[in-house]
Amino acid sequence: MASGLVAIGVGLVMLTALGAGIGLGNAVSKTAESVSRNPEASGKILSTTLIFATMSEVTAIFAFVIAVMLVGKV
Amino acid sequence: MDANSIMKPNDLFSINIFGLSIPVSDSIVMMWIVMAVLIILSLVFARNLKTIPRGKQNVVELVVDTINNIIKDNLGHHWKSFAPYFGTILLFLVFANMAGLFSVLPTAEELYKLTGNRFFEGLPQFSIAAPTKDLNITLGMALMSVTLVLFAGIRFRGVKGWLHSFLEPSPVMAPFHVLDFATRTLSLSLRLFGNMLAGYIIVEMVYEATVFIKPILPLASFFFDVFDAILQAYIFVFLSSIYIKEAIE
Repeated sequence: MASGLVAIGVGLVMLTALGAGIGLGNAVSKTAESVSRNPEASGKILSTTLIFATMSEVTAIFAFVIAVMLVGKV
Repeated sequence: MDANSIMKPNDLFSINIFGLSIPVSDSIVMMWIVMAVLIILSLVFARNLKTIPRGKQNVVELVVDTINNIIKDNLGHHWKSFAPYFGTILLFLVFANMAGLFSVLPTAEELYKLTGNRFFEGLPQFSIAAPTKDLNITLGMALMSVTLVLFAGIRFRGVKGWLHSFLEPSPVMAPFHVLDFATRTLSLSLRLFGNMLAGYIIVEMVYEATVFIKPILPLASFFFDVFDAILQAYIFVFLSSIYIKEAIE
């Protein structure tokens, strides 16, 4: 019973990937839009996007590490 | 592959020194291998350098120029003091993350099952994987970078200016500036570790599913061991240089 609940918890933890995916999708779509508007600034736009993409990605990474820790308890 | 053992280091042997027993895990051995490869490469490539580059010297100059340009873009005119450190970190991380490409090589257990040779039975269980999939190693790298941020701030601003930087927008922010050292270490190390662990788990699952064609399928790990490896190494260097830029300006 308890280990089954832990397994459900692992699944719920990985729902974080939903938010990270939506965030990354927003960031990348705006990047494509701004590069097509202003192609000369593409280098600067790319590096700025990379910072914020890693920042929104790290939430999914934390969730993944927590999920791996929880899977060991099943 | 076992979920319980995946995050724990696999101790191969231990070194006894001054009555202390220091366990050596397989990720440390992998790190030594990567270091040996880098040292040998630097000895081979950095011999008889000339003013007018020929042959292999062109390759080295291209690599060094690329690294210098990355640091110059991020750090501005103080780049010269930090370029050697970041170049070392970048090269080490790229080579360490790409070590997972060689995980198709058979382990001692597999060789024993394949050949039946008694010699392979007694060998320690050493499997090739990226050393950065061990949290201890990425935590060490992150601690190095955060310590560098601390000392660079003191060195370039002086003790007084450094202490004053904690009160910069307003004194209310001071606890958050102190907290930054912990969160930066945590996020730098966990980002690299989580990415590499995810790549390792997925590649291992693919290999388990396709066990008969494992030797001819190194391409399964191409995305995680080449693209993701280089991207994560670059992001680590990039974020560290941004932290340093914030500390020295």
